[in-house]
Amino acid sequence: MSNKRYAMVLDTRKCIDCKACTVACKAENHVPLGRENYRNWVMEEALRGRYPNLGQEFTPGQCMHCANTPCKRVCPTKATGVNADGIVTVENKKCIGCKYCMTACPYNARYYNEEIGAVDKCTFCEHRILTGREPACVETCPTRVRVFGDLNDPNSEVSLLLAKHPHRVMKPEMGTKPYLFYLI
Amino acid sequence: MARLLEKKVSRRHFMGLSSCALATIAIGSQVKVLKALAKDGRIDAPTGLGSKDVYSSCGMCVNKCGFIARVKDGVIQKLDPNPEFFIRSRAMLCARGNAGVKVVYDPDRLKYPLVRVEGSKRGEGKFRRATWEEALDLVAKNMNEIKDKYSRASVMFASTEGTFSEHFFTQLAECYGSPNTLRHPTLCLSSNIQGFGATFGTNPTPDVLNADFIIMSGANRSEALMTPDSIDLLRGDGGKRKLIYLDPRFTKTSAKADEWYPIKPGTDMAFILAMIHVIVTENLQDQAFIDEFTVGFEQLVPHVAPYTPEWAATECEIPAADIRRIAKEFAAAAPRAVYYQGRRSSFMANDTQMRRAMAILNAIVGNWDTKGGLIPNANIELTKHDYLAPWYDEDIPGRLDEGSVTYLSEKDGAWPAFRDRALAADPYPIKGMMVYKQNPLASVPNRAKTLKLMEQMDFICTIDITMSDTAWYSDVVLPEATYLERQDPLEALGGIVPVVAFRQPCIPPMFESKESLWIIQEIAKRLSEEIAAEFDFTMEEHLHHQVKHNPQILEDLRTKGIYYESTEPNYGRTRGTALKTKSGKIEIFSQKYADNGLDPLPVYTRPTAVPSNRYRLLVGRHAYFTHGTTANNPYLHDIMPENTLWLNPVEAQKLGLKNGQMVKVRSAVGEEKLKLEVTQKIRPDSVYMAHGFGVLSKAQTNIYGKGGSDAALIEEKYCPISGNVAMHETFVEILPA
Repeated sequence: MSNKRYAMVLDTRKCIDCKACTVACKAENHVPLGRENYRNWVMEEALRGRYPNLGQEFTPGQCMHCANTPCKRVCPTKATGVNADGIVTVENKKCIGCKYCMTACPYNARYYNEEIGAVDKCTFCEHRILTGREPACVETCPTRVRVFGDLNDPNSEVSLLLAKHPHRVMKPEMGTKPYLFYLI
Repeated sequence: MARLLEKKVSRRHFMGLSSCALATIAIGSQVKVLKALAKDGRIDAPTGLGSKDVYSSCGMCVNKCGFIARVKDGVIQKLDPNPEFFIRSRAMLCARGNAGVKVVYDPDRLKYPLVRVEGSKRGEGKFRRATWEEALDLVAKNMNEIKDKYSRASVMFASTEGTFSEHFFTQLAECYGSPNTLRHPTLCLSSNIQGFGATFGTNPTPDVLNADFIIMSGANRSEALMTPDSIDLLRGDGGKRKLIYLDPRFTKTSAKADEWYPIKPGTDMAFILAMIHVIVTENLQDQAFIDEFTVGFEQLVPHVAPYTPEWAATECEIPAADIRRIAKEFAAAAPRAVYYQGRRSSFMANDTQMRRAMAILNAIVGNWDTKGGLIPNANIELTKHDYLAPWYDEDIPGRLDEGSVTYLSEKDGAWPAFRDRALAADPYPIKGMMVYKQNPLASVPNRAKTLKLMEQMDFICTIDITMSDTAWYSDVVLPEATYLERQDPLEALGGIVPVVAFRQPCIPPMFESKESLWIIQEIAKRLSEEIAAEFDFTMEEHLHHQVKHNPQILEDLRTKGIYYESTEPNYGRTRGTALKTKSGKIEIFSQKYADNGLDPLPVYTRPTAVPSNRYRLLVGRHAYFTHGTTANNPYLHDIMPENTLWLNPVEAQKLGLKNGQMVKVRSAVGEEKLKLEVTQKIRPDSVYMAHGFGVLSKAQTNIYGKGGSDAALIEEKYCPISGNVAMHETFVEILPA
């Protein structure tokens, strides 16, 4: 069994909304073309203030690989599962396309992939991790917003970042215990 | 039964997991070993299973970032950033770089040589597939006819940067005997090169990584990505350096800046002169540096006396107290402070003098050739490619645009001035147009005029990878192999830390596309034996010639995708040596300009006021497209399917216009229709639209019929010193569509 717990730490102060992560992900994971098909995203948050006193943040996101998974709970065929390393998975063959999981996910992190006939979402690029490489979005990010690693390793960059900086998760009130951490 | 199924499922689940875990251990440990070895340089970095990795340089924009193409079964699966390219591109790939795969496998790409159907009009898009033989014969026949009927100068050669192969095309022009090459700088940064060149003798690179204080005006570095500057700007914890940003729009750079000022367009020079005023009146300049390295400071002091912050505040609408404070902070942070010059198209017709003001401000605080300041570019030498253009006995006139601007670059030309003279056949006609990857219909302001210019041509040939608007209006279209399919020569990329890059094919050229060198050689062969003789070499021979003095360069490029001699900057190289200016020093006062009847010190001119019921049209970049070349890319099209016209809500209300509705935008030279975006992110006196839409080419199937073209609206005013187009001197009215 794996003794890893994968997580991602994001420093949104560095995010310039360049969408490199989105295109890298689409190319890496053969996400079908179309604006409604995506495994990750950069959200342009609402503009703050009035001209000329303005501010804006950009928030990248993807499947939060939650510890408490509403997507898994509602899946009638157990297509959605969780690996020992924390990665939330979808088994294409089992998916019947009922989209309950898409409704259940508070982060809107899932889409229906017409080409494979199943719901699809971020896998932390598991196939890359297996060969010792970083997820495509992490590797390509120009300003290094995303850091990926193993939270069970106290010396990993993710552990060190979380130990050093205050951070938050998205929609904590949903009780999903997400594993994408945003530095404050 | 249900229980049985459950059991079965959970068992399979367990099996899946355990085999997965095993794989992690087996491959994971192997990779660790491989990685450790790779670090020592004993073996190559680990590669994907069963795939071929090819190291090359990106061709989506001008930055030439390094990537590794993951090729499997002859198909490019993915482009990953090349970690070895860290010193230049910080081991990243942007959205465009990642979208490169779709350039190759794009149904819209050019696949075969095309010839316009006899009897059809240009722009109707009626092309037929031709053989290379026929298409090339047609090109040579027309080039020869034009020279016989008019002169060799009557064929113009328009080309663009970034291909690594442009010099073959300009060589063809020179060997053919035409002086009329039109390169991209007057649509880009020629005023910048001129203004900084007149001051420092070179256009330096700001050391963004090590600067503590950066002022950017108009250089939108979080969207107009430049490596490594865009990345370095955000390095560290975000609090280490201060960024002051002036832009009439709230851009992504504004969102990252410590202070954003929506400066009144065209008044940047007032802000800079007022900063100089504060520095010299409060004696904050680096006097020791000025005394040793510059000339003309004593003339500068009285020159800036009238340019007080209070005066500037009324010009640029930035409070005087802020200007004063920023000037003091800038001087205090110097020499690790830069007024970042950017490189974009010029704003106004006085752009060269504005760039001069920037250069002077940097000079008086001594941030020259020192850590965190402006650094003159270092370069790695490659062996020069020599050729001898044939001698022709006939009389060939000089450049058509000769004397149109003060400092005309012989090779680059001055686009708008050239076009005006060509339209008037003054002093001689231009009848042939050879185009290599430039797209004047989208990039030169006043599209209607460019269409007129093309109408008067006897012959137009475009070499490109995509059916640009210019290709759409051509007689012969030749498909070049994309940057992922071709071998390109080596190119030395100068900078604070110089490197050498090149391109090698990841896959063989698809369809009937060909490397540009082959295309040019085939044209040369058909023109004359003399011209062909100057192209009598293979690409392989050319590469080896370039590294004749140091074969290691090519070795490194083939195996690592990059060559460099040091990873660290070498500061202070030029200190104590003569600069490439007349005096050999930094010229605050330019005697050269004075001798040419130009202002030797930058004199402020107030921009034309925006007429009532009109708006100033602004241009600007975003991180998804490179000029007009990538909007049709399927991945990038997903991000931005059309452009909109930005308008401040106060003005939208005045005009009774709603967010999302279609509007007509009308200037003195054109009218376009596009969607209105009502946003706080722009000054009330200005409107903005992104570049790359409103195309004429129906072969750009994703974007044809979407958005509006800025080139159709912008008037072609230009800087009389450098010839650079002035992109912000156009006023438009907005009407409901």
